[in-house]
Amino acid sequence: MPIRLPAPLLALSFLTAATASAQMPMTAADSARHVLERLSYGGTPGEVENVTRTGVMKWIDQQLGYSDVHDPALEDTERYYDVLRTPVADMVAMQNDQQLKQQKAQAVADSTGREAALAAIRQEQQASKKGLQFLLAGLNAVTVVRAAESQRQLDEIMVDFWTNHFNVYENKSQDRSYFADYLERTIRGNALGKFEDLLIATARSPAMLFYLDNAQSVAAGTGVAGGRGRGGMVVRPGLGRGRAALFPPPRAGTYPPLGAGDPMDSASAERARKAAANAPRGLNENYARELMELHTLGVDGGYTQQDVINVARILTGWTIDRKNGSFLFRPGAHDQGEKVVLGEVFPAGHGEDEGIRLLKMLATNPATIHHVSSQLCERFVADAAPDGCIDDAVHAWERTGGDIREVVRAIVRSPDFWAPANVDSKVKTPLEFVISAMRAVDGVPDSTPRMAQQVGRLGEPLFQKQTPDGYGERQEDWVNSGALLARMNFAVALASGRMPGVTVDLDKLVPLTEDHVSLVSEVSDAVLGGAMTKQTRETILKELADVPNARAARALAVGFAIGGPEFQRQ
Amino acid sequence: MPITRRAFVAAGGLALVSLGADPVFLDRAAYALRAAGPVASGKTLVCLFQRGAVDGLSMIVPAGDSWYWQDRQRIALQKNQLVPLDDMFALNPRLAALKPLWDQRSLAIVHAVGSPSTTRSHFDAQDYMESGTPDVKNTPDGWANRFCTNAAEHVNTPFRAVAFGPQLPRTLAGSAPALAIDDLRTFGMRAAQAQGEQKLTRAFEELYQGAATGLVATSSAESFEAIKMLKTANPSAVAPANGADYGKGKLGQSLQQIAQLIKADLGVEIAFVDVGGWDTHVNQGADQGQLATRLDELGNTLAAFTTDLGPRMRDVVVVTMSEFGRTVKENGTGGTDHGHGTAMMILGGDVKGGKVYGKWPGLAPDARYEGRDLAVTTDFRAVFGEVLHGHLGAADLSRVFPGFTGAPPMGMFG
Repeated sequence: MPIRLPAPLLALSFLTAATASAQMPMTAADSARHVLERLSYGGTPGEVENVTRTGVMKWIDQQLGYSDVHDPALEDTERYYDVLRTPVADMVAMQNDQQLKQQKAQAVADSTGREAALAAIRQEQQASKKGLQFLLAGLNAVTVVRAAESQRQLDEIMVDFWTNHFNVYENKSQDRSYFADYLERTIRGNALGKFEDLLIATARSPAMLFYLDNAQSVAAGTGVAGGRGRGGMVVRPGLGRGRAALFPPPRAGTYPPLGAGDPMDSASAERARKAAANAPRGLNENYARELMELHTLGVDGGYTQQDVINVARILTGWTIDRKNGSFLFRPGAHDQGEKVVLGEVFPAGHGEDEGIRLLKMLATNPATIHHVSSQLCERFVADAAPDGCIDDAVHAWERTGGDIREVVRAIVRSPDFWAPANVDSKVKTPLEFVISAMRAVDGVPDSTPRMAQQVGRLGEPLFQKQTPDGYGERQEDWVNSGALLARMNFAVALASGRMPGVTVDLDKLVPLTEDHVSLVSEVSDAVLGGAMTKQTRETILKELADVPNARAARALAVGFAIGGPEFQRQ
Repeated sequence: MPITRRAFVAAGGLALVSLGADPVFLDRAAYALRAAGPVASGKTLVCLFQRGAVDGLSMIVPAGDSWYWQDRQRIALQKNQLVPLDDMFALNPRLAALKPLWDQRSLAIVHAVGSPSTTRSHFDAQDYMESGTPDVKNTPDGWANRFCTNAAEHVNTPFRAVAFGPQLPRTLAGSAPALAIDDLRTFGMRAAQAQGEQKLTRAFEELYQGAATGLVATSSAESFEAIKMLKTANPSAVAPANGADYGKGKLGQSLQQIAQLIKADLGVEIAFVDVGGWDTHVNQGADQGQLATRLDELGNTLAAFTTDLGPRMRDVVVVTMSEFGRTVKENGTGGTDHGHGTAMMILGGDVKGGKVYGKWPGLAPDARYEGRDLAVTTDFRAVFGEVLHGHLGAADLSRVFPGFTGAPPMGMFG
C-alpha cells in the first residue's frame, strides 16, 4: 500500500520528499513540466515558467474548467473550417450525390470505355472542392490545429482519449458522412461530462450504429427493418465494398416487381434485387459485444455469449434515418420479447426505453467503472495502471455518478500521478509526438491536413483505426525500430524548416550563436524544459563541431533534441 | 558477410545500468551478448495473420457437408464455381491461384483448427494466438520470439525476426531482437546527401546509445544495426523474378519485401505480416463482395510470392492464421458473427501438401461448438509446433508453448 498524501500537499511540491527520502524532491518547475506532459500536448517555449507562476494546482483546476479558459484566438481560427459547421444531413446529401455521379461515370465507362469515365470522375472531383473529401481533410487539419494551439489542452486530450475508447473508422462507407458530427458533437460535446451521457450519445450516434452494424440488426423474423416499407428511404447500393443498401425494399424477402411498365432499367433493377437479397433479416451481434467488451464492462466483465445475444436483441430497432443522418428507432424491427442481461430481467413489451435502461445499467456497473478508470490511469499515469490510482478514480466516479471531470481530478491528485517512477515514464503516441514537437518549437500548422498526414506516417492515421479497440496507449504499441527512425527523420525535417504544413521560426526560439555550449543549453531549455541528459548534450556538441554555419548548427541541435530519446517520453 | 554485434553490446551495457527497467529488456540484451555465431539454418518461416477472424468455411469450403448449404443460403458459394480439393473440401474460387500448389503437394490445409480458449473477443483471441498461451493474459512475450530465444541457435543478425508493418506484433515481442519495417525502401535516415545521411545516422545512434532506456534503447539499437546491413545488401534493388506480380496492395508489397530480404541472405528466420478486413458481419458476399476481394488478394499475392522465390521456396514455409472462425449459420445481415474453429494454410518447404489435416467434426448442429460454431479439433499450437519442428528444426518446444503438453505429431513435414 503506497503512502497516500492529502491533495493540497501536491501544490507545494514537497510530496516526493515525503514518499521517498532518497529521491531528489520535485521542484515546482518539475511539477509544471510533468502536468504539461500529461494533461497537455507538452509545453510551448516558456510555458513551464508560466505554469509555475500560475501555480501547478491552479493551472490544473483551470484546465478542469473551474474557471473558464478563454481562447478567442482558437475560436477565430476554427472559423476557417467549414466541416465544424456543416450539418450531418448536408454531408449525407453530399455523399449520396457523389455516389450518384460516380454511378453515372460508371455508366459512361460502360458505354464509352474506361478513359472517358476516369476523366469524368476526375472532373467531378475537381468540381467538388467543397465536397466530402475537402470537409474531411479539414477535420484532420483542425484536429491538429486544436491540439497544437488550444488553451484548453485537457479538453483536447480527453477528446483524443474518447475518440479511441469509442473508436469509429471514418472511412467505412456511410461513416464518411456521419463521422464529423460524431467527433464534434457526440465525443467533444461529452468529453468532460457524465460517462453515462457519453455512452448513450455514442450508442445513438449514426456513426457508431453504422460502424458496428447495429443499424442493420433487426429482430429475427421481422425481416424488413421496421416493416414500414420504403417510406422515403434512399436505397443506394454501396460502391465497391460490397456494402449494398442497408435498408430494404417494400416487403420482406420479396424482390421488387419487375413486370411490364416497371420504370426501373435493368441496372437499377439488378441493384434493387441485390439490395433485397442483402436486406437485414435478423440479429447482428457486433455492437452488442464491443459495447460490453470495449466501451463498458471490459472483456473480463462477467458477461456471457447469451448476454451478448440479449443485448443485441434489446438494441434491435436502433437504427439510422438515412435521409438526414439522425438516430431512428424502428418499433417494427424491435424484439418485443423478454430478455435477461447480467441477471437483470428486461420484461416483454418494451421498446426504445429498454435500450436506455440497458445503457444506464452498463454505465453504472462496477466492472465498467473499474475498466474505464483503469484506462484513464493508463493514459495519465503509467502503462501499467497503478492500483492506488484506479482506486482513487473509482471512488471519485462513485461519489459523483461518473463525472469524468472529477474522475480525472482524482487521478491527477493521486500520489501515483506524482510518483517519481511515473514521471517521464510514458512513451508518446505519434499524435502526441508530432503535436508536442510543434509546440516545443512554437511551430504554426497551416490549414492543410499535411501535419495530420505526418501523424499518419508515424503510424497513427487519424480516425483510420479499422478495429473497434482504437489506438493503443502503451509503449509496445508504438516503439519499434521502424517507428523510431521515422520520428528521427520527422524531427530533423521539422527543425530544418523542410516540413511542409508547418511554419517554424527558430529565431524566436533560440538566438543564433557561434557558442555551441550555450546553444545546446538554450535548446535544452526551450525544447526539453531543461531536461537534456549529459550524454545527449555531449553527443550533440560533438556532432556540431564540424558544422561551420551557425544556422545549420542550431537546426541540427533542435532536430537532435526532438528526435533524441528524451523527447520520445512524457 | 561480417555482422557486427556492437549495437547489442551497447544496449546490453545500458540495460545493466538502468536496472529496475522491465526485466524482459534486460534479458533481451543479455541474450544478444550471449549469442555466439552459429550458422543460419537458411530456413524462413513466414507468418501471415488474417486479423479479424476469417470465415474458414468460405476460405476452405466443406462442400461435402450438407449443413454448409443449408445454413448459408445467402452466402454459400455456387457448387460449379468451387475448386475441388478432395471429397469433402474445395477452395474458394478466389483462391484458385493456390490450386497449382495443392496439385504439386506444396500446400497443406488444417481445418477445424483454433484455440482451446472460449473467448469470442478479437483482441483476446489474437493476444492468445500471438502469445501462444490461450487464456493466460500476462505472458510477456510472443511465441515466435520465445522460439528465437530458446529453441535453436542462429546467426546473430537483426533480421532474424522481422515484422512488416507500422507496429511490432505481439508474436515477435520479447527478449530476442525483432525488427519492425513498414517499408524497406524508406527504412533509414533521410538526408539530401549521402554524407548528411551518414552523419545523422551516426549521431542518432550515439544519442540513443547514450540516453535511451528500455524498449526504446533495444529497438533503436536494432534499427541502426539493420541500417548498416541494408546499406551493404541493398535488397530493394532486386526485382520480382519469374514474372511474379504482387499487385498494388500493402500485403503484396510486404510479401515482395520479405522475398527481397530472403534473397539477400540477411538471415531472416521468422517474417511476419498481417492483413485485416476479415470481420465480415454484414454482406460478406460469396464469389463477389468484401470477403471475395480479400481472398483474391490473399491468393494472388501468395502465388506471386512462391513464383518469385521459385526453387528457394524449398527453404521457406508460409503459415496463415486467424484468431477464430465465424458462425456456421449466416446472421441476419448477410454476414457471420464471431465463431470458433477456422482453417489454416501451410505452404512451401518440405510440407507434405495436397492434404487437409485435422479431424473434421462436421457441421451438424450437435457437432458444433456451443451449438453454433465449427468445433476445434486441432489446437493451433500443434500446427505452430509442427512447423517449428519440421521446418526450423526446433527440438524442444516446451518453452515456446509453456503448459502445452502437445499433440500427436501430424506428420506434416519430411
